[in-house]
Amino acid sequence: MSLANALLPNRAVDRGMLVAVAGFWAALALVIWAVSPFQSLPGPLEVYRALGTLWWEHGMGPELLTTLKLIVHALGFTVALSMLLSYLTVIAAFRPVVAAVSKLRFLGLTGLVVPFTMMTGGGYSLKVVLLTFGMTTFFVTAMAQVVVEIPREQFDHMRVLGASEGRILWEVVVLGTLDKAMDILRQNLAIGWAMITMVEGISRAEGGIGALILNQNKHFHLAEVYAILFVILFLGLVLDYAMGVVTRVLCPHSVLERMKR
Amino acid sequence: MADGDKIIDVEDVSQRLGENQILKGVTFAVRDRVRPGTVTGQIVGLLGPSGVGKTRLLRIIAGLDAPDTGKVTGPSGKPTFAGEVGVVFQNYPLLKHRTVLGNLLIAGAANGLAADAAKKKANDLLSRFGLDARASYYPAQLSGGQRQRVAIAQQLVRQKTILLMDEPFSGLDPESLGNVMSLLVDVANMDELNTIIVVTHDIRAAMTVSDTLFMLGRDDPKAKPPAGAKIQKAYDLVAEGLAYRSDLEQDPKFLALEQEIRAAFQKL
Repeated sequence: MSLANALLPNRAVDRGMLVAVAGFWAALALVIWAVSPFQSLPGPLEVYRALGTLWWEHGMGPELLTTLKLIVHALGFTVALSMLLSYLTVIAAFRPVVAAVSKLRFLGLTGLVVPFTMMTGGGYSLKVVLLTFGMTTFFVTAMAQVVVEIPREQFDHMRVLGASEGRILWEVVVLGTLDKAMDILRQNLAIGWAMITMVEGISRAEGGIGALILNQNKHFHLAEVYAILFVILFLGLVLDYAMGVVTRVLCPHSVLERMKR
Repeated sequence: MADGDKIIDVEDVSQRLGENQILKGVTFAVRDRVRPGTVTGQIVGLLGPSGVGKTRLLRIIAGLDAPDTGKVTGPSGKPTFAGEVGVVFQNYPLLKHRTVLGNLLIAGAANGLAADAAKKKANDLLSRFGLDARASYYPAQLSGGQRQRVAIAQQLVRQKTILLMDEPFSGLDPESLGNVMSLLVDVANMDELNTIIVVTHDIRAAMTVSDTLFMLGRDDPKAKPPAGAKIQKAYDLVAEGLAYRSDLEQDPKFLALEQEIRAAFQKL
């Protein structure tokens, strides 16, 4: 019955069946990969061996730590800047500034390398600034929209309770949207993580997983490139999961709201 | 405060919304009812068809919006302001990130109540409203009826004598409707000065709980542009002998008045 549910449209399946279905597709992908005739696609064993080589001989561990430090650093700045800008949308005088920051997402990063290099002197600072810029413009776009869409009833509700405007801002705007802010942060972490190889490639001296993959690319070490891609994907998923856990701990109501929907 | 003293005085209130005149010269007063030997609050029904401007008027009485002309004064004789009058909105908004108890404590804190006093009051109210077992629940875990009770309790953490309720009978099944009506009467009679203004289009429910009814409507609803709504008629249900009774719905006089109001509704 449960298998039939997995094959018919608009049916729910239990957790066990979901794991089994996911396992089936993963096994199928692995088989297709193993028997793939494409020369440009190294086999699973080759990639596995390359992973060992990268880890033990090319210092992949420290490179990963370098990358993680960079993303956490940039994420910290992004959260501080974006939240401040988003919450300022409740003050009419700041709305044009927030709108302008949001529009900057269309600029892209490539053209900004030169001015940002001149401002920061390059190196690690440049990478932090580039990542922060990239994530902030998207974060502000999404978060400002969340703040704008808070129903007026929520503000009025607090007003009739006798709350001051400061308390209303804290309860309705800051705490009331924290679950959504965490979700947006999760999406922006993915955006930042996707930009990491490009940003680390700008200045390879400090290393990082992005520099490592570009070096392997240069020498056409395909098995190593795929191994690094797997690591990037795996770490991205771990970060995403960790963000989900943090959201559930900080905003337990968000889980209930989702269940209700 | 003595029998007949004004608790809320709405004087010549008008409001436009863009080109539309929503309210025009709304005037009525809610007066204290005293029944010797009992603690009796007031329940006033503000009846009107959908879209006539009832919620607009509620917002003005609550001090959330200013009228274009006219004024609303409270028991002190001064214009009402946001926070002076309790309001239970139609969708019972609660802080979704706070538990039931947390929502009540926030109401205490917002009114400058000390934490201990707020907690005591909140727990008393939860007990009175049968919500003790739900104190640690989040709003997403509550049924519609429970949300409504929490929303009312939240307004009562810091004693406010005037409570406005926007469509409290909307979408309720008969049993829930009976429970809500009983709850309103209980809340009103918790204090002699308690006054509940129920904004609704549910004629029978309003007649059952109220001691006074005001009917809000336009002179000619088909006029273009529509004229603003005003109080078309007031009913003193106490004087009619149609208040403070549990057998009202069997009284032929009650049923006749209900028909009269329904007929008048069609013309508003």
